Amino acid sequence: MTDKNRKKKYMLLSALSLLVFLLIWELVTDVLHIFSNLTLASPIQVVETFFYKLNHTAPDGGTIQAHMWASLKVALSGYALSLIVGIPLGIFMAWYRPVDFLARPIFDFVKAIPGLAWAPLMIVLMGIGFTSKAVTIFISGMVPCVLNAYSGIKQTKDVHLWVARTFGATRMQMLFKVAIPTALPMIMTGARVALGACWMSIVAAELIASSEGLGYMIQQCRGIFRPDVIIVGMLCIGALGSLITWLIGQVEKKIVKGRNHDA
Amino acid sequence: MPKKLKESLTKAGCAVIAFLVFGLLWGALTNFTDVGMFMPGPIETLEFFFDHFVEKIGPGTIPYHALMSLKRIIPAYIGASAVGVVLGLLMAMYWPVDAIVRPIFSIVRPIPPVAWIPLAILWFGINDESKYFLIALATLVSVLQNAYDGAKAADQQLVGVAKMLGANDKNVFLTVVLPGAVPYIFAGLQLGLNAAWGQVVGSEMIRSVDGLGWIIIRGTDNNNVLQELAGIVMIGILGYILAAAMRFAENKLVRWNKRGT
Repeated sequence: MTDKNRKKKYMLLSALSLLVFLLIWELVTDVLHIFSNLTLASPIQVVETFFYKLNHTAPDGGTIQAHMWASLKVALSGYALSLIVGIPLGIFMAWYRPVDFLARPIFDFVKAIPGLAWAPLMIVLMGIGFTSKAVTIFISGMVPCVLNAYSGIKQTKDVHLWVARTFGATRMQMLFKVAIPTALPMIMTGARVALGACWMSIVAAELIASSEGLGYMIQQCRGIFRPDVIIVGMLCIGALGSLITWLIGQVEKKIVKGRNHDA
Repeated sequence: MPKKLKESLTKAGCAVIAFLVFGLLWGALTNFTDVGMFMPGPIETLEFFFDHFVEKIGPGTIPYHALMSLKRIIPAYIGASAVGVVLGLLMAMYWPVDAIVRPIFSIVRPIPPVAWIPLAILWFGINDESKYFLIALATLVSVLQNAYDGAKAADQQLVGVAKMLGANDKNVFLTVVLPGAVPYIFAGLQLGLNAAWGQVVGSEMIRSVDGLGWIIIRGTDNNNVLQELAGIVMIGILGYILAAAMRFAENKLVRWNKRGT
């Protein structure tokens, strides 16, 4: 079959699969009641609840928009901080040998610790609130930033550096005119990965200790057996995460134009 | 002495020095500034840490909790990785499988596994079943995506060559696609391991009765920073060991392709 034909069949099969999935879901909850409404909400319920929560604050104390904004605020702050600190740190570590030898072992150790594990410590040091969450997110996001910036700089071809030196460039100039541009694609990838990590981190931090945000919303609704709100929350989390990732992807395309790499 | 040995020793030596410097800075911070009011110094932390290899925290000693955490991650990780690799490869090789699985996968993938925790607890309770489910989920997403990418990245020229030489589909798969996909698969396995370990800790922090994540969160209850730090240290050590084990396995199995760590 031709390519176009196959594409059509592919779309059809995908749509069908999604439909079947939704149907089975609906059947299992609303029609046959295999799962009670307290453990699994039907798709129709989920849609209803989504529209309801756009305007009402029950049952957890906030509308969806309010929660989304709360989560976004903290996540983006932590993320921005991890970019500002992580990328230069990674570049620094890769460029100066002594820094590398000293910082690397510690960094490898921190890398092995899931970002969330820092949350309780931050809460004890800074109390429940914006700062402790932002710092936890900062730590989660910093690791991919540093790693990717480090790899990016390490990838700089010696030949290019030699050419620069032949033209009389200083170390500083070599760093800014050769190494960093070479590293830019990897740095952008790191930024994207860091975003994913930060977004995951905010949800987790909110599950543990928060009074607002999407993670808080779904945790509250677990306690009162409202799986419909939980699923709405989960889908929002996924959708927001995808949106921000897509935005970063667009920024990446602008900055790294002309560079051949797969998305 | 041989060059490689010298390199490894230098690295180890630097690591020791780095940790010593870090410990000194930490000690200085806690002894000479106000930070000492909130945080214990390095010596206290180490003492606490080693003490609790024998003394219990809650239901067991630190090694007990470590074992509990490991007990959760290992079966779920292995199971989910196997499924992920097989499914990812299948999806890349046979487009109908891709068409069927892709829509659901695209919806599930952006949702961070932590977001599933409340739902998982609602469905499975606070026992280990919910944790197995969550860890499997966290692993599956990374492993599947990477296996798929790896198989798709097969050099089409090589595939063409193989077919021209008379290989059937199975041969093409075994000799061209699979070896080419292995580095991607291992990258996915590493990512999956990170995700799984993070998920274990995360789910233990939220609802659990034992485990390393539990140690940390219980430390918050009594403002016991020592306990939290001990938990963090143990988690780091185990996480590092797991990652190193994975890298070791990769080096042994994929000797022809050394990625950067």
